[in-house]
Amino acid sequence: MKKLSTLALIILAASLALATPPAPTPDEKASTTAAIGSVVADFTLPDAGGREHSLSLLKGPKGTVIIFVATKCPVSNAYNERMQKLAQDYRAKGINVVGINSNSTEPAAEIKAHAAEKGLTFTILKDEGNRIADRLGAQVTPEAYLLDASGKLVYRGRIDNSRNGDSITSTELRDAVEAVLAGKAVEKAEVRAFGCSIKRVS
Amino acid sequence: MRKSLLLVLPLAAALAASAAGGQKDGAAKPPAPKASSAESAAPAVKEIKEAGLKELLGSGKAAGRPLLVNFWATWCVPCREEFPDLVKLRELYDAAKLDFALVSLDDPSDISGPVPAFLGEQRAGHFPSYLLNADDPDAAINLIDPTWHGELPATFVLDREGKIVYSRKGRIKVPELREALDAALK
Repeated sequence: MKKLSTLALIILAASLALATPPAPTPDEKASTTAAIGSVVADFTLPDAGGREHSLSLLKGPKGTVIIFVATKCPVSNAYNERMQKLAQDYRAKGINVVGINSNSTEPAAEIKAHAAEKGLTFTILKDEGNRIADRLGAQVTPEAYLLDASGKLVYRGRIDNSRNGDSITSTELRDAVEAVLAGKAVEKAEVRAFGCSIKRVS
Repeated sequence: MRKSLLLVLPLAAALAASAAGGQKDGAAKPPAPKASSAESAAPAVKEIKEAGLKELLGSGKAAGRPLLVNFWATWCVPCREEFPDLVKLRELYDAAKLDFALVSLDDPSDISGPVPAFLGEQRAGHFPSYLLNADDPDAAINLIDPTWHGELPATFVLDREGKIVYSRKGRIKVPELREALDAALK
């Protein structure tokens, strides 16, 4: 009986926690941002097909690229091919690419259809309630986070300098990935670019 | 969310009413300096790089006027949604005392098509308009506000000294923006 009621309490607490996610209002900026050098704590999210994945199982042996993506944002869409190529180029080298869609306006079915249409084969997670976007402080799409083998954040920001891909003169994300693979420090750890704001829940 | 809507709606209505009133009065008053260009179908949009942006951000200070700068793009839905409010807001203030500038982050190839077309649609042809074609977006963002992540829309008010006194990432909230403009004009 005692065991049972404890279990009931745990379930109740868990369901309460689920019912009231600590999401900030869309009018307020995410209060926390993951700092360069900090370890990103494990999280679990479903993919666009509803299957649950945890970061600890998705992460690459050498490092992990997390990219906040969108289905409708033209900036994110301009990077579809480059994101796919990045995933393909580095998978065998031990770096995994994971997409996260935190836009409240883009449901899982849409993410699945979009990925199929654009040929995106890396895992894309659905971040309902933008919990992970808030935890990492992600504001735009596309916005990339690179974690090293130990899960430490070593780069955040743009993929490269050229939205349409015509005039790429710097490839910060790839440079950071190469640095991680070479066991070197990432030279530019934070580089922003203009993008679509993540549509957070109200 | 509902609360903020309730706050914004009456204000938007008031803005719409005063904007309409302003137009009516406008016929009797001497025309505003650039009123005629407002009617032209395809307003000119000037392409700028980082140096041009720097100059633009310093232009209010040089003229001794507060400056509102709105960063937007035709592909940015909340930018498009807030545009009518910006246009109405402009009409509430004396063009000789306050500068407005619009900076589009559209693709440079859109400078003579979708960007001026949208500005024309919104009757925003009289706003000084620019398209930022930055070689390094990160450097451009730093020129404005190092704490900005680059998300659109973003709106800044600079006082007569060129100091940022208001910044809003995401859709503008008309009451707080008006408050900031009123304070900057004091």
